[in-house]
Amino acid sequence: PAVARENNCLNAAKACNLNDTCKKYRSAYISPCTSRVSTAEACNKRKCHKALRQFFDKVPPKHSYGMLYCSCPLSDQTACSERRRQTIVPVCSYEEKQKPNCLELQASCKTNYICRSRLADFFVNCQPEPRSLSGCLKENYADCLLSYSGLIGTVMTPNYLRSPQISVSPYCDCSNSGNNKDECDKLTEFFTENTCLRNAIQAFGNGTDVGVWQPMSPV
Amino acid sequence: IWVQTRGCLLKEVHLNVTDLGLGYQTKEELIFRYCSGSCAEAETNYDKILNNLTHNKKLDKDTPSRTCCRPIAFDDDLSFLDDNVVYHTLKKHSARKCACV
Repeated sequence: PAVARENNCLNAAKACNLNDTCKKYRSAYISPCTSRVSTAEACNKRKCHKALRQFFDKVPPKHSYGMLYCSCPLSDQTACSERRRQTIVPVCSYEEKQKPNCLELQASCKTNYICRSRLADFFVNCQPEPRSLSGCLKENYADCLLSYSGLIGTVMTPNYLRSPQISVSPYCDCSNSGNNKDECDKLTEFFTENTCLRNAIQAFGNGTDVGVWQPMSPV
Repeated sequence: IWVQTRGCLLKEVHLNVTDLGLGYQTKEELIFRYCSGSCAEAETNYDKILNNLTHNKKLDKDTPSRTCCRPIAFDDDLSFLDDNVVYHTLKKHSARKCACV
């Protein structure tokens, strides 16, 4: 029988607002991330990032991941996916006037101890391994999801791209990479074409991440 | 004899944000908490006097407010995303603690 498609991202937002802790920390980041501070700046990005880090630190994964890693039908490019893209309030936490080069962004991340350690965790825990059933070198989706969400609120804050399949990236590209084009492409592909991360996100979204690592059907 | 405890209590109801009637278009939901109940037991001489003076028409046409069951603290803010993908944050929209004031 034809079943009306549920909007998992909307359901996660509803569940969050019915939980006192999630509701509190959700509005605690949405406020600074949506408050205009001057005519020049849409928000205080530093405060927005700090509150986003707090949200993922304090709210149980059931709720925080529920919103960040909610699954949307492939056909959906609006209601569900757009809501998922908006989770981190990208207009404040993600977008900039100009897209920096990804290697430059990485260099600036490495000057900050929180960003440096979280980026290192992400590279370790979401390392793809094609020969592994899970798609990951370290067969632990939870660690990969934790490391990815840990990047939110740093200069390397990633977000979903408007793409039919799950693809994420920090706000940067590889133009003006000069001799380091290959290195830059490698860095961006770790985000945009990472099978381990994609499987981990899909497993959470489908509710199949129960400790048994099964390959996900290709999207 | 069991006497039912009555008075001003915090109650809650599960609502759609649209039920609030504030003009937002969204499918998000919330728990709305409010203060309700009798404050008769908390009345002071002041309230008794007001009651008597109103009854005896000694206050011209004034009808001063008596003890009310009201929030003395508000719940945390509530944020939601509307159908046009705009975030809103409601402040002081829901009660946290009630008292007869």
